Amino acid sequence: MKNLLQIIALDWKGSTRSPICHRKVIVNVFLALTFIYLIGNLLVLGIFLDDILIKVPIDGVDYQTYGPSFVLRRLNRYLIYYFFLDFIVRYFMQKLPAMSIQPYLHLPIRKSSLVHFMLVKTVWSPFNLVHLILLGPFMVEVFDNLPLSQALGWVSGIIAIVYFANYFLLFIKRTSEVDTRVYVGLLLSLALLVGLHWYDMVDFNAISTRLFDALFLQPWLATVVLLLLAVAYFINFKYLKGNMYLSRISKVKRAEVSYVGAGILSRFGLVGRLTELEFKFIWRNKRPRSVFLMTILFLGYGLLVFPQDEYAGNYLMYILFSIIITGMFMLNYGQYLLGWEGTHFDHVLTRNVSFKDYYMSKFLLFAVVSGAAMILSTPYAYFGTEILLVLFSVFLFNLGVNAHIVMFFGSMNPKKIDVTQGTMFNWQGAGAAQFMLMIPGLGAPLGLYGLGLLFWDEMGAVALIGVAGLLGLAGTRYWIQMLAGWLRKQRYEISNDFRNQ
Amino acid sequence: MEIKFSQLTKKYGDYTAVAVEDLHIPSGESFGLVGNNGAGKTTLFRCLIDLIEPDTGFAMIDGKSTQESEQWKHDTGSYLDENFLVGHLLPEEYFDFIASINGIRETDLKARLQSFEPLFNDEILGGKKLIRDLSKGNQKKVGIAAALLADIKVLVLDEPFANLDPSTQIRLKELLKQLKHDRGVTMLISSHDLSHVTDVCERIVLLEKGKLIRDIRTSADTLRDLEAYFAQVGNGIGQEEAI
Repeated sequence: MKNLLQIIALDWKGSTRSPICHRKVIVNVFLALTFIYLIGNLLVLGIFLDDILIKVPIDGVDYQTYGPSFVLRRLNRYLIYYFFLDFIVRYFMQKLPAMSIQPYLHLPIRKSSLVHFMLVKTVWSPFNLVHLILLGPFMVEVFDNLPLSQALGWVSGIIAIVYFANYFLLFIKRTSEVDTRVYVGLLLSLALLVGLHWYDMVDFNAISTRLFDALFLQPWLATVVLLLLAVAYFINFKYLKGNMYLSRISKVKRAEVSYVGAGILSRFGLVGRLTELEFKFIWRNKRPRSVFLMTILFLGYGLLVFPQDEYAGNYLMYILFSIIITGMFMLNYGQYLLGWEGTHFDHVLTRNVSFKDYYMSKFLLFAVVSGAAMILSTPYAYFGTEILLVLFSVFLFNLGVNAHIVMFFGSMNPKKIDVTQGTMFNWQGAGAAQFMLMIPGLGAPLGLYGLGLLFWDEMGAVALIGVAGLLGLAGTRYWIQMLAGWLRKQRYEISNDFRNQ
Repeated sequence: MEIKFSQLTKKYGDYTAVAVEDLHIPSGESFGLVGNNGAGKTTLFRCLIDLIEPDTGFAMIDGKSTQESEQWKHDTGSYLDENFLVGHLLPEEYFDFIASINGIRETDLKARLQSFEPLFNDEILGGKKLIRDLSKGNQKKVGIAAALLADIKVLVLDEPFANLDPSTQIRLKELLKQLKHDRGVTMLISSHDLSHVTDVCERIVLLEKGKLIRDIRTSADTLRDLEAYFAQVGNGIGQEEAI
């Protein structure tokens, strides 16, 4: 027990001393405000949940017959969807409790203590707390309106289900990572459920009503759910304890040496070599790779707008989506321009390459990806040649202006990025600069379009965006020289930050 | 190429990491730096290759301040720590890249890598492991080889012998001696391994709390003297009187 408390203390130190807590104040303020806003929304929704439920029109149910339990019954009708959705969200987003237990394994601490610690820690996971915040106010109401035993049955049952879902999911996720069959099975059963619902073969509302009504009609049933929770916890415990060996915890490191791409870039000399190196970097590391794959995915983004009648001739939308199609990569990848190289920045500084060539290679990288996106999106012309004009104008703007802006902001007090982590909800490296980047990146083309409309028609206004891009391109050399000079000034500070992160 | 440190100081708050008033390393000298942890060896090297900005003074390679001019990058090979390695590359790709930025042709590169084979001991080339997945010792081999790859005139190595297996340590020593003999490379090497550093270096400088406290021409007695000194440090005896 004493050991466990010490581990908790160490773990707490670990999280408060992580680089995330040492970001610029403004970023933390921004994130905190966002967080408070989201929590506030949830709370408000939770407080008014009963009012909303009363107003939901459902035919055939008489308010009077059920008295005070009416609202609760209405909620129960939908709870099965709620938990189903919760499960899917958890599956894709909830992370397995990460704790580096390696430093403790050789110490005289019982393995089971460590496992308990890892498992209990998940109680505070936002994926569980969200439910308590959302349903909390409602639970208070339940206690106010129903007899104590009934209220107790329902509330403890729901909380137990939330945590059952937590542990059940952790187990599924852990095993499906190792065994693809679990994953396939999961997908199949998901498809089956959706199919059953789609063709109205099963009345899920009725099942939901039966299941959750039972919790307060027969409060002792809550103990069954609690028992299930205990079983889920125990299975996790068993599994983890049996697999607590270094070789199994740390995923087997595989060298991913595959690299698609010929040596075409070497035609650009040293700059091309640097760019090629960066492509290798992108391809061989999880986080930049997912940024890259996302770019490919976003090529299809235009389908949401260009063929739709309701957006026909809506140039603002065209422009916005065009920015994303050809600029997604530079905006997304470029915002951490130097941060990506945090692990080998001393190499960058001491090697025999000028900073000008360094930035030139970054520009070439953006140009290659953006150009490829432009070529691949030419089929959008099928939906109207004016779309192609928008795409091309915006492409020029991305290359001539946005690429430069991105390189500038990506060099502003960069943070070392852990490239082995995924992108989802990964705020590592995010700073004020990264948020500010979006303002000119998205705003400027729209502003130019508006400006152009004052003098010409839509086509002219779109062309103005392209002209601005061409002007920007003409200044590339000058701009890169400035950036190189800036990096030369900041090199000590940046490399020192990277070394100490 | 000669190297000069002049009035160089670097402070972190009240703590003085380096305070070297005047240190001159003539061209072609093999120069060893010894001192306990925190003596300022790495900081001094980082100042030399322009990774840290000194508070006062400067370091010069070939008569030019490394802060002002980037000329030194053409002639200097350095390896201090893993921050010098591009982890997501195969060793070959990394060497290939280093060669290309230094204008070494492919056939030359092959021959040069061949000359490192005793050092590599078949563990570096031809494998399928990225640099970041190599062991510490093998990473060090890659870093040192990359530093030696180009036609350098100055070599800066921090703790080159640490983490290497005994055979490689001996081979590295031979390689370094040969480098000095054949190409007249000016070498700066820091090490905790007194016997290796006295073996390789003709001059040893002792650093203590950032200050240069002894400057020794290596002789038959040097190793014994150094060992005596380090045994005394911290035993309450004034460091100045220790030797």
